[in-house]
Amino acid sequence: MSGDCILCGKCLEVCPLLRATGREELGPRAKADLCFLLGDDETLLSGEDVAKLAGLCLGCHRCKAVCSQGVDVPGLVAALRLAHPDFKGWLWKTWLTHARELWSSTSLAAKLIPKNFQSEKFGPFLKMLAGLKGGPGLEPFLIPEIFPDTYRGERMLLFAGCTANYVQGRWLVTALRLLDGLGIEVLPGDFKCCGGGLSSAGFDVESEAMACKNIDVWRKAGKPKMVLFCASCLSSLGGYENYFEDSEEFISWQRSLMPLSALLREATFVVSEKASGKVAYHRPCHVDKADSDYMFLHNALGNRLIVSTSRECCGFGGVMRLGTPALADAVNRDCWEKLGTPDVVLTGCSACAAQLAATAPNEVRVGHWLEIIA
Amino acid sequence: MRFCLLLTPRGRSRTFRSMPIYAESLTSAHRLFLTDHFPGDGCLLSQEGMAAFSADASQERAMPWAVVRPENRGQIEELLKWADSERMPIYGRARGTGRVGNAVPTHGGVVVSMLGMNRILDVDENDFVAVVQPGVVTGDLQAACIDRKMMYPPDPASVKYSTLGGNVSTCAGGLKAVKYGVTRDWVMGLESVLPGGKVLRTGGRSHKNVVGLDLTRLFVGSNGKLGLVTEIIVKLIPLPETSASVLVGFSDLRSSMDGARAVFRSGVLPAACEFMDKVTIQAVRQVGDVPLAANAQAALLFMVDGSEAGVEAEVRQLVTALNESSPVSVEIGRGKDEEKIWAVRRTISPAAFRIRPNKFAEDISVPRGTVAEAVERAHQIGEECGLIVLCFGHLGDGNIHVNIMHDASVPDEVVRACRAKDAVFRLAIELGGTISGEHGTGLTKASFVSEQLSQEEIGLMTSIKQVFDPNSIMNPGKGW
Repeated sequence: MSGDCILCGKCLEVCPLLRATGREELGPRAKADLCFLLGDDETLLSGEDVAKLAGLCLGCHRCKAVCSQGVDVPGLVAALRLAHPDFKGWLWKTWLTHARELWSSTSLAAKLIPKNFQSEKFGPFLKMLAGLKGGPGLEPFLIPEIFPDTYRGERMLLFAGCTANYVQGRWLVTALRLLDGLGIEVLPGDFKCCGGGLSSAGFDVESEAMACKNIDVWRKAGKPKMVLFCASCLSSLGGYENYFEDSEEFISWQRSLMPLSALLREATFVVSEKASGKVAYHRPCHVDKADSDYMFLHNALGNRLIVSTSRECCGFGGVMRLGTPALADAVNRDCWEKLGTPDVVLTGCSACAAQLAATAPNEVRVGHWLEIIA
Repeated sequence: MRFCLLLTPRGRSRTFRSMPIYAESLTSAHRLFLTDHFPGDGCLLSQEGMAAFSADASQERAMPWAVVRPENRGQIEELLKWADSERMPIYGRARGTGRVGNAVPTHGGVVVSMLGMNRILDVDENDFVAVVQPGVVTGDLQAACIDRKMMYPPDPASVKYSTLGGNVSTCAGGLKAVKYGVTRDWVMGLESVLPGGKVLRTGGRSHKNVVGLDLTRLFVGSNGKLGLVTEIIVKLIPLPETSASVLVGFSDLRSSMDGARAVFRSGVLPAACEFMDKVTIQAVRQVGDVPLAANAQAALLFMVDGSEAGVEAEVRQLVTALNESSPVSVEIGRGKDEEKIWAVRRTISPAAFRIRPNKFAEDISVPRGTVAEAVERAHQIGEECGLIVLCFGHLGDGNIHVNIMHDASVPDEVVRACRAKDAVFRLAIELGGTISGEHGTGLTKASFVSEQLSQEEIGLMTSIKQVFDPNSIMNPGKGW
């Protein structure tokens, strides 16, 4: 896979880590090349140091999206992490040592740190970093007016994701209200974590188990449409390709995945008088090209939406944040430079919402777009 | 192994007249100097860290002994003073997107990564100039200019991920060179540090300057062999109000060349004039829909820009002129539809790999009137060597991208591809052209330089370099 890299440098355009640090050895091309060199001549470089260096990846997947050769650098990095014999031990030790320093002691995530390593819980934790609190959230100011009949009577599953399930219960409540307004019957489904965080951390066995369980829930429900409101979960579920028996079923799975904001395309909303002034939108790295969250907010908020990030990453960075928070912080600063100081920043990814909320300037409030729905 | 680890061009030998004497390795005193002057992450010495700086888009490779990351000119002055006295090879590097190995540290020594100097210092709406540091991504400067309704036109294919420093070093061209010229035509002034640490300022913010020899132009395209550029002043123009693009299909190559000639004769100077041969069209059709007639065997792609009324008129004039050559399809794109047309052009490179997994991508340039002959003979060379050859590129400049497709894992194919490459270079020279219109010669074409340039030219260039770099520490081991 790494041998397919032609060193053209196209990925350098999109890597937020390279942009923020100016360190070429941290760019995706360098990582693909390191993996290639290691595979070609193991005596040339120290495997352990390569793993350490190549592991400095935010896992945003932007490089994979632009690569003409289909090189999957985050996948290579995950494989390096997996191959590293001490990685799990290092990861957990680092987590226990630094979690309380890195993230606010008042956050629910910090309180949930377990005493022993339980890899199946690590994915959810990755999504609850950065001082995420289940507090009051944003003041709602977008009032649903008319729901279309497009989906009325349909039965769908709701994949709420770990953050909504464990921390941000109000997101789940609002999502259910919107689905009710749309006339959609929500089927019961006992989903596991999407597994995205675990997969990029190199926990292949654990993430595969989660994927298989989630697919099983969908199959048993009769393969209905599945509604999501976290861009990272959506991206992670969309990448379950290896866990289906045939490509036909995988295509059917992919077609079933529906961003909640896409279902609201024909709904109308009014902005209440107590609305916040200037609103910014942060585009998550893992969102698909169509970015239905942005389209929804653009239509609903009009001129109130003053700025949107495009190539900036929030700097969440998964396991990279644990090992090298200073590098992830540099990426985060780039993001805030673009966002400026609006009254509210909205996004559609639980990890971005957490990271931006923890790093926002005092006067700026951050939340998932569901929080502004009255 | 996909890389040439020994940096002698494949199948050729190179000799250096009076090879300069260089440091043979990095001593502990050298290391101390570098880590003192470039503290923390500013100096890399581990093999893993330096690997990224050993290769560029040419896929040639050699490991440096150290990598440093200056953040200001003062550090570079100290570095070049030290390097000159220690006879330490120095390689300036931005993002390593060059195609011929100019950034590869062939003689050991120190790679100087300029990415830390990446500030846009000024975009001036009165002087119509921008002042930038070398690590600024060209696309970022263009965006900053557009915000102020101005334009920096040079647009190499790598515009979104290569830097002004790299573009200046290689004199990068691009799609719009036919109307707007290449990087050299837009650089008005430079600040550089020379070996020994002296700072040289050439040119300035004045749009005209005829006093003395043009040292600024000499630096542009010198591939880091004279000094390290630390500040660049470029010319800007008002942003054109709008643009339109036209994709035209022809039944054969000769008709397409007639069509292009008719357009220029009609008085239209397009901002871009690209062509694709039949093999290229077949390749892009494998990747997606192409808005060309099914029987098109050659295609032209035009862009015109200017005022709304001017663009309307030029498109009409262009289409009328093309009619003389009986095109089989004409697709006009405005606004978002323009993007669809250019997507075809951008697909060529990845599409080519559907034919064979590897390619030699050469960029010969010939007089515009001989493009048809050059393309036909390049195809012939491919047939003789049993390989597929794609030709496309900047017809307006006579700059043809000749892609020799092959499978590098088949030794015999590599030998035949190298033979085809030699023949293509000789063809360019025979037609009165050049072995490189854009990419430069670096490592991959170094051995052909003496076939194009006369001994007198090479002698003069060597003498000029000696004036700037008497100990030849700047980017050694490359062709001109």
